[in-house]
Amino acid sequence: MELYLQWKDLMKAGTELPFWQDFYVKFFQAFVEGDRWMQYLKGVGSTLMVTALSLIIGVILGVLIAVVRTAHDQQRPGKRNPILGFFNGICQVYVTVIRGTPMLVQLLIMGFVIFSTSRNYTAVGILTLGINSGAYVAEIIRGGLMSLDPGQAEAGRSLGLNYIDTMRFIVVPQAFKAILPSLGNEFITLLKDTALIYTIGGEELVYAARAISTRTYEQMFPLVGTAIIYLILVLIFTWLQGILERRLRQSDRR
Amino acid sequence: MIDVKNLSKNFGDLQVLKDISEHIAPGEKIVIIGPSGSGKSTFLRCLNLLEEPSAGCITFDGTEITDPKTNIDLIRRQMGMVFQHFNLFPNMTIKRNITLAPVRTGLMKQEEADEKAMQLLARVGLEDKADAYPSQLSGGQKQRIAIVRALAMNPKVMLFDEPTSALDPEMVGEVLEVMKELAEDGMTMVVVTHEMGFAREVGSRILFMDEGKIVEQGTPAAVFDNPQHPRLREFLSKVL
Repeated sequence: MELYLQWKDLMKAGTELPFWQDFYVKFFQAFVEGDRWMQYLKGVGSTLMVTALSLIIGVILGVLIAVVRTAHDQQRPGKRNPILGFFNGICQVYVTVIRGTPMLVQLLIMGFVIFSTSRNYTAVGILTLGINSGAYVAEIIRGGLMSLDPGQAEAGRSLGLNYIDTMRFIVVPQAFKAILPSLGNEFITLLKDTALIYTIGGEELVYAARAISTRTYEQMFPLVGTAIIYLILVLIFTWLQGILERRLRQSDRR
Repeated sequence: MIDVKNLSKNFGDLQVLKDISEHIAPGEKIVIIGPSGSGKSTFLRCLNLLEEPSAGCITFDGTEITDPKTNIDLIRRQMGMVFQHFNLFPNMTIKRNITLAPVRTGLMKQEEADEKAMQLLARVGLEDKADAYPSQLSGGQKQRIAIVRALAMNPKVMLFDEPTSALDPEMVGEVLEVMKELAEDGMTMVVVTHEMGFAREVGSRILFMDEGKIVEQGTPAAVFDNPQHPRLREFLSKVL
């Protein structure tokens, strides 16, 4: 600490420091001085919270849409339910619009047009990410339900189980296993995309890094540090996903 | 027991079943034979409405099952079905495969269903597989389990859709043996198969289908030893 203060003063006075001293000072400045590591930690906390909340919104929306669209597609031909058809239309428009426009533009529209009067930027960010993710999760789930051998559902129905029970005990558990890698991928994408809510003033990890940069006039250490933190988070979740997949695979091959 | 009147089925522009009328009486062992694409499987799948008929009417024990107001789940509980590709549920143990439907439909309590499952498993010689998963079994074993699973619902009729076509030749025998025993117990059966030996031995009536119609039918002796229709003769000359 003493060395740091000493070298920092030298630096301020305009002295060219050797590389490692320079490194030491900037590192200290970016992470240690004034307990700045706490800011990153808080940033990680809000990043995880934003990810979790938008994932919950995304999964709820995704499941609803996937159920509506699959139920609509699986109706007996010639006996289509018009109400289901109406909701199916809404779902299709939603998925098309969300997947067809950049996430950044969606964020800017939500933040500066639709909720321009709201001061709670993080909440707007969570909502936008959730709505965005819902469209992708819906397609992932729908793909999982469609990929299952129709014979499985037929076997369930031929035993006299109704549609709901067949889905609940036979189709969904198997589909879930099939979509887990894609769902994990979506989660990781979402985790990284939370960085974008910085653009509308949402508070998370990037926000913390930028706040520190503006105090220290030094860009490299906060930003590279942030990148490393994201990488570590992603590695942890990839590892957890692997464990979960191995568990669910137990009934496959032995 | 099952009464089929003027049944037709179209897939798009293709008419697979052409105005079929047929009656299946309790205790009958109907065997349906015919070339690929003749509509055998579609006919069978129409009987429990896995395929929706395009026209016509099917009645089961006095209930018109083609009526949209009929609860088809209640009908299907009385009709067991065995598929070509077994369709066991890979995410469940064998015992749960067998007990799921009886328990969920309220037919039995879990303990009763477990007991029934063990009895049935013993009957096909697979009681040691109760806690195994489908992926650990051979094709023949899977198909025997699939038969047991259907029987656990105490069905009045059993539908078999090419039950041995996906099996190794070595394993065909063990499945046919179970089906023969079932026939001897008096079960009403409708079997789509290419096993002519089985058809001759077990069938009480043979239906020969070609291009969506039942072209000829009769006792095994009549159909196999004295075929009338030229199409049936041609078919038999190729498969026998």
